[in-house]
Order: sequence, then structure tokens, then C-alpha cells
Amino acid sequence: MSQFLEYIKMALFNILSNKVRSLLTMLGIVIGISSVILIMALGNGAKESITEQLSTVGNGQVMILSMGNERITIEDLEYIQTHIEGVQAYLVTSMPDGTITTPKGSFTGYAYGCNENNYLFEQYSTLSNGHYFTKEDYDMGRMVCYLAEDDAIKLFGNTDVIGMPIDIEIHGKILSYTIVGLTSYINESNAISYDYENAPIYLNVPLSTLNQKLGLDAIQIQGYTDATLMLASDIDTQDTCNQIIRILESRHDCLGEDQFMFQSFNDILATINIVINMITLFIALVAAISLFVGGIGVMNIMLVSVTERTREIGIRKALGAKTRSIMLQFLLESGFITMVGGILGILIGLGGAYALSTIISMAMPDYAFTPSISLTVILITTLFSSTVGLFFGIYPARKAAKLSPIEALRRM
Amino acid sequence: MESLIHIEHIMKIYNPGENEVRALDNVTLDITTGEFVAIIGQSGSGKSTLMNILGCLDVPTSGTYILSGENVSALSDNALSDIRNRKIGFIFQGFNLIPNLSALENVMLPLIYRGVPMKERQAFAQEALKIVGLEHRIHHKPSELSGGQQQRVAIARAIAAKPPIILADEPTGNLDSSSTKEIMNILHELHESGRTVILITHDNQIAANAKRVVKIMDGKIESDTTND
Ligand SMILES: Nc1ncnc2c1ncn2[C@@H]1O[C@H](COP(=O)(O)OP(=O)(O)OP(=O)(O)O)[C@@H](O)[C@H]1O
Ligand SMILES: [Mg+2]
Repeated sequence: MSQFLEYIKMALFNILSNKVRSLLTMLGIVIGISSVILIMALGNGAKESITEQLSTVGNGQVMILSMGNERITIEDLEYIQTHIEGVQAYLVTSMPDGTITTPKGSFTGYAYGCNENNYLFEQYSTLSNGHYFTKEDYDMGRMVCYLAEDDAIKLFGNTDVIGMPIDIEIHGKILSYTIVGLTSYINESNAISYDYENAPIYLNVPLSTLNQKLGLDAIQIQGYTDATLMLASDIDTQDTCNQIIRILESRHDCLGEDQFMFQSFNDILATINIVINMITLFIALVAAISLFVGGIGVMNIMLVSVTERTREIGIRKALGAKTRSIMLQFLLESGFITMVGGILGILIGLGGAYALSTIISMAMPDYAFTPSISLTVILITTLFSSTVGLFFGIYPARKAAKLSPIEALRRM
Repeated sequence: MESLIHIEHIMKIYNPGENEVRALDNVTLDITTGEFVAIIGQSGSGKSTLMNILGCLDVPTSGTYILSGENVSALSDNALSDIRNRKIGFIFQGFNLIPNLSALENVMLPLIYRGVPMKERQAFAQEALKIVGLEHRIHHKPSELSGGQQQRVAIARAIAAKPPIILADEPTGNLDSSSTKEIMNILHELHESGRTVILITHDNQIAANAKRVVKIMDGKIESDTTND
């Protein structure tokens, strides 16, 4: 045991008395491990933040589209909602543009006409004042509207607008609404959030009012080219959508003609996930390459240093060192170097990842994310580099230690 | 008296086949405990080859080697390491010191492999360095020592573990006459203290220091004379 301590001391001494060589070897390991950890931590962090942001958007929403001349009617939608389990609400919209006039001036904007349940589909805003429309508002076609606080400030200069009248001129007709509600945006700023600053002004109004005032009834009879459905979260989206398409096809007498199709946000998410997984794979490949390069660096310096030390091995053997004492010495030396290099590599990799993400979050807050790395990646990386370091530290040493001392001494 | 070293029909052939070199050609030799033997011969005659085999650093192509009753030819690599460590002190033709170790650390090496504890190791090594007159240079690296001083470190290393046999290959090869004298004195003292000393040289004058002179030529023993 005391003998073992001697070897540890000897290994440390050798490392310290060959600083350049030790540092170069360590550098290979540090570069290998730290670059893999850095790349993986940044890549994973970015991926997680994208996935998280996407998962909040459009969850459970399905869009059905008419691809041909058939139109989706309100009757179709009512039928679907009452006959298919899990269909919670539907949304059809009409969005003519017009000119809004207020005491502050004239603005271009849209009348965003929705059927009831509109608020169920709201992704980005929540009611901050007043109320949404009531069922009567829709049914009676009351001239009420709600709008975003930001738009209220643009139009009136303040948010104290509940009960105020507001006019919008569409196709030469003036529609006079009363403001009953205000909404505010919920999504804090992030990479995929909407650009509210330059967004057009929307007046949310009951669809029925547009139909009545603008004579759009014809459209409603003909139907819509698209509608959005809100599905319960515990049902099979794919299955439900196929049922819906079949119902539409049979109601429109066009079975199997591909007149209707659907697009669920989950499908889009799946596509995005494929892209993200490809990016992850790419990142992993880049990381593997840097690990490989680091490994070659370690290998080279180890091979060179052992060759250079063959003479030393010969001397030690001539003086009575056994093959295993030589092996133990080299094992401890490369062990220490790989261990210190490994720890440094992990620290530098993680530190670099957090430093970079801090810089990004300060310079471009919209793209901020937290680096993330799994223990498995750290372990695999460290294991790989250590194996390379140990193998190339020991294998040539073993070859040299097995030479007869005189052969080892002859090698210059 | 029983032989300490007994070799019989030793052959050492390099590059068998074409260009073969018979570095040792059927050499038979006995050396008893306490002898001071000089082995002389021209450059390339096979002196170092013989010493490497006697010191268990190299194995002969054929022939037997019995060292204090033990058949060395049959021993494993590890057992040979032990024999080198316990029985033999080498002084190489080219010093063979480890460059990044100090004089003291170089001298301590054989003691480490023998498992001598730190304190005693240091004491033994210091004593050996004192015998060769280098007690004031123990922390110098080989590169900071003169040729003669390096040779003396090599001698100190050979004697530190107090082995019974000292093998010296041209220990005075590239030294001036006063250093040569000092080193020969050290070897004589070691012989006086009971060790068997085998000295290799190509210099007849140095060989004259020894009681017995074995002359080698082209790998064969040409003469084996004992002076009085
Ligand atoms: N590894 C080797 N391969 C081939 N030939 C060798 C090898 N080592 C030694 N020889 C040859 O063996 C012969 C004896 O060499 P050795 O080193 O024993 O000579 P030496 O008597 O010690 O000479 P010197 O006085 O110059 O040291 C020489 O002819 C040499 O060329
Ligand atoms: Mg020689």
C-alpha cells in the first residue's frame, strides 16, 4: 500500500516535471470534452425552449379546409359539434378591412367577425376589462365590439373606452359599434411571439352584425372555405378529424373525392419536432467530430510521449522495475491527466454554455434560453475521452514495458 | 569454490541469416564471488553484449547461464527484474540517467523498486552519493553535472542498493585521467568491501588494475589470465 502511494507520488512528480507535455495532453481532453458539452448544452437548451414555446400555441386546435367548390356551412359545423364527441367549439370568421374614425383621427383596420366562442380560441390575449359577447349579442346581432388595450391607446390615446362608440366604414357602409370589452396580451416576448407593435388594428365583432349590415348572409348560406375546431385534449386528434372529414363528405355527397382536408396543430408540431430532431442530430454529429479530434490530439501526444520515454522505461526496467510497475506508473500518470482534463473540460463546457446564453439573453432577449445538458451526455463524453486518454497512455507504455530492457535502452 | 557466475556455450547472434553478426560465439566463463575481473577487447568485439547478458538485461540466442546456482535462462521477465534489482549494480557505458530526475532521485530508483521506505531510501542514496564524492550535488539534474559527475551518479545508483555484483561498462570511457583515477579507486573500494566487480574496458592500462583479465575478440574468449 505504501508502495502504491510511492507510485502516486511518482506519477504526480512526472506530470509536474513535464508541464508542457502534460498540458498538451490535457488540452486534447479539455477541448474534446468541453466542446461536446458546450455544443450539446446550447443545442439542447435551444431545442427545449423552442419546443416549450410551441407547445403553448394552438394546442388542441384543428383547421378544416375546403379544397374544392364545396363550402363548410354552419349547419355542417353544428352537426359535427353535436354528433362527434370531443368537438368543443367551432370558429368561423369573416374579416373585411375598413377605416376606423375616432376623435384622434382615421385608422385602417379590420372588423374581425367571429361566431360565438371566439374567446375560446384566443391564444395571445385575455380579457382585462368589460366582457366578451353574450349569446344574445350574437343571436340578436347587437352592435358591440371588444378590442386590444394597445389598439385602444392607438385609437383613443387611453384605455378608458368601455361604453364608447366607434365607427368603421366598410365598403362605403358605416357600422357603429359600442365598445364592451378590452383585452391584453398574455404572451411575454419570446422568439416566436407575435409582433404586436406593428400589428393592424382589429375590432372584434359578432359575425352576425357583419352578415346583417354588409349583406354577407349569402356567404353564410354558401358556407366558409375554412373553420377552426377546438378539440378536447383527451381524444385522438387524427381519428376525430378523419370522422369529421367523412361526415363532411357524406353531407356534401362527395365521398372519397378529397374535397376536404384538415390540419391539426399537433401535426405541425410533429413536423417541427422532426426538424428539431434533425438539428439535434446535426449538433450531436458536430460534437462527435470535435470529440474525435480531441481524441486524436490525446492519442498523438500520448504516443509521442511514450516513444520519447521508451529509454526511461528501459532504464527503470534495468534497475528492477517490473512490467506491472511501469504499467501502473503510466496508468496513474494518464489517469491523473485525463481526470483533471475531464473535470476542466466539463467545467469549461458548462461555464462556456452559460456564459454564451447569458450574452445572448442580454444582447437578444427574444432569443434567450437556458442551456441544458443531460448527465448521460456528460458521462458518455467523459468516458470516451478518458478511454482514449488511458488507452493511448497505456498501450504504447505496455509495448515498451514488454521489451527487454536492452532493447528499450537502444531505442533513442 | 563454487561459481557465482557460470556461463556455458553462450551464443548471441544478431540478424540471423544474411548479414549475421555473431556478437558472442560460444563463450564459456566462470566468475567466483569476490573476484575483480576486467574484460577487454577492441571496439565491437562483444564486451557490452556479454555484460548485458551477465546482467540479465538481454537473453542469449543459445547457451546456459547459472547465477548463484539458479538457471537464469529459465526465468520469467518479472523474476529477471527482481534479480537485476537485488543482485546486480550496473554502470552503463552511456550513464543512462533519467534526465528530469535529480541526482538523488536517480540514485533512489533501484531502492523504490525494491520497496525500501522513503526515509531509508533517502539515507542509502545520500550515503552512496557521499561515497562517490557528490554529497554537495544531490539536487542537480544530470544536465547540470559534468560527464565525470554524471558517471559518479551512475556509480552511486549502482551501489546504493548494495548489490553483490557490480557490472561496469567502460566507466571511465570519456573521462580525464584524474577522474579515471577517482573512479578506479571507488571500484577498488567496492571490491575491498566484498563485492564482485566486473569491469569492461578497451584500455589495457585500466585492465591492469584487475587481478584477472579476460580478453575477447570477435565474440570469442582469446585469453583468460590472472595477474599476481
Ligand atoms: N542490436 C544489434 N543488432 C545488430 N548487431 C549488433 C547489435 N548490438 C550489437 N551488435 C553488434 O555486435 C557486435 C558487438 O557489439 P558490442 O556492443 O558488444 O561491442 P563492444 O565490444 O561493447 O564495443 P565498444 O567497445 O565499442 O563498446 C558489434 O559488431 C555490433 O555491431
Ligand atoms: Mg560496449
